[in-house]
Amino acid sequence: MNILKVDWIGALFALAALAAIPLVFGSSYIIGVMTVALCYGMWAASWDFMSGLTGRENFGHSLFIGAGAYTAGFLNVNFGANPWWSLLAAPVVAVLFSLLMGFPTLRLRGPYFALAMLSASAVMQNLTIIFSGYTGGQDGLNGLFPILDSTLAYYYLTLGLLAASAVVLKLVANSSWGLVLRAIRGDEATCQAAGINVNFYKIVSLVISAAIAGLGGALYAHYQLQVGPDLFTVVLSINIIIMVYVGGMGSIYGPIGGALLLNVLTETLRGLSEYRLWVYTLVLVIILFFLPQGAIAPLWRRIRFMFT
Amino acid sequence: MLQILIYGAVISAIYALLAVGFTLVFGVARILNLAHGSFYALGAYGVYALTANLHLPLWLAAIISVLVVGVFGVLVERILVRPLRRSMLAVLLITLAVALMIEQILLLIFGSEARNVPSLVDTTHHLVGVDISGQRLLALASSIIVLAGLWFFLQFTRLGSAILAVSQDAEAAQYMGIPSDRMYSIVMGVSAGMAAVAGVLVAPFQTVIPGMGLLPLVKAFAIVVVGGLGSIAGSIVGALLLGYSETIIAFKVSIEWSQIVSVAAVLVTLVLRPAGFFGKRAAF
Repeated sequence: MNILKVDWIGALFALAALAAIPLVFGSSYIIGVMTVALCYGMWAASWDFMSGLTGRENFGHSLFIGAGAYTAGFLNVNFGANPWWSLLAAPVVAVLFSLLMGFPTLRLRGPYFALAMLSASAVMQNLTIIFSGYTGGQDGLNGLFPILDSTLAYYYLTLGLLAASAVVLKLVANSSWGLVLRAIRGDEATCQAAGINVNFYKIVSLVISAAIAGLGGALYAHYQLQVGPDLFTVVLSINIIIMVYVGGMGSIYGPIGGALLLNVLTETLRGLSEYRLWVYTLVLVIILFFLPQGAIAPLWRRIRFMFT
Repeated sequence: MLQILIYGAVISAIYALLAVGFTLVFGVARILNLAHGSFYALGAYGVYALTANLHLPLWLAAIISVLVVGVFGVLVERILVRPLRRSMLAVLLITLAVALMIEQILLLIFGSEARNVPSLVDTTHHLVGVDISGQRLLALASSIIVLAGLWFFLQFTRLGSAILAVSQDAEAAQYMGIPSDRMYSIVMGVSAGMAAVAGVLVAPFQTVIPGMGLLPLVKAFAIVVVGGLGSIAGSIVGALLLGYSETIIAFKVSIEWSQIVSVAAVLVTLVLRPAGFFGKRAAF
């Protein structure tokens, strides 16, 4: 069998397994945990698309997530808009933020992008508290409407959107576009010398990444029925980066696996949920020192090797 | 007006202390230290623990706290950062892991409620018509002394020259017999110590909570971008600019709005002059 075929079959198996989970376990608690895990999967995959491929690490991905979630919150709570509109508006607002941050910082080499994103998300978190008249401050916005009444149906909606985004991201990553992005990671100056408009590629990849993160943010908001300043925290961005690292950078499917794995892991070891950040930090250190390629993507490559 | 002048000077001095340490580590060792704010938090908590639990005199607690954080910085460089130096991203992430760990440890030991650290000097002074606490004046004076000391150390000692040489070209310095790796450790220790000094000085008039290191990190980064990444003079100018603009906005508009200055400054600088005021190259 050729590699591509094995990849597709593997993806279908994974999708079938995820679709079967609520049918096997059925409790609304597990469906809820899995819905949140799918949102994390969306965030991790979108982080990986920009940062994993181009090597420009984004330390403030929560900026886009929070922007998407708060857009959903404002539309729903303040304007009473139909919750379906959130799914359209959230990516648009996240894209605006990505353009604002991407244009000044992505032209430059060095760590400017990483740190500017970190600062921007930290300041947005502060702003949500300063403008508590509009944002609800520390309590956030409450009383969002659910998009679908049944949690099971909402799980499948999230799963469908995650699968669709993953397929789009993976196809783009495998196309000549993705090749350019990976080339930028390898040697930016050479790409420029070859006549590639490096800045254009970097900014568009950030825009795509932000759109999907914003969509994930809106989905998360309509699951929790509440948005709060914790969606802008640096810790959220860091959790996502750790998930990507566990999955394996630059592979798109690896980070989704990493997000599911870490979410399920912390939820199974219930006693550990107090020490969630400890677990994550420890995992990060272990991965950095012993598994620099991550765990899930190399594992899949090995499995694929057995079938080809 | 005079109030802005004096309070702005205090804030700028503290910012300069933080930013110079941050830029020093980057300029010499090419380490972008995301744990810099955590060293600041450790300094503040060190004083708290030593005075409240061990009942040491305040000045002794301050000195011990700064020295311990400095040694801790050296250990972080030696044990965690050095094996990962090949990859810039890995270095970023390991310093981030250190920052997370420090915050969690502080949370575990001291809990999330704010702690009070007593002032080194309890007096209130009347300076050119402005009332100001002695602690703030002490912070101003100590920051200037530490910065002057650092300048003297870099310019007039053999070790300082070696550090400057490594910052210009680590490989060439190595050929001249300067152990670059050891210089990285020393610089990390000095930088961590300076962050701790800042933490110790502001602890009496700041809320001491486990997450207190994040905003100073953001500020230090903003200052360093405005001044030029890797430039010490630039960081001091940047600190004055940011410190005074924040104070002016805090007095004239509101304290809340002053938070946004740093990020706005970063974006404007990167659009108009990406190298910063004193940066020589556009970017590294």
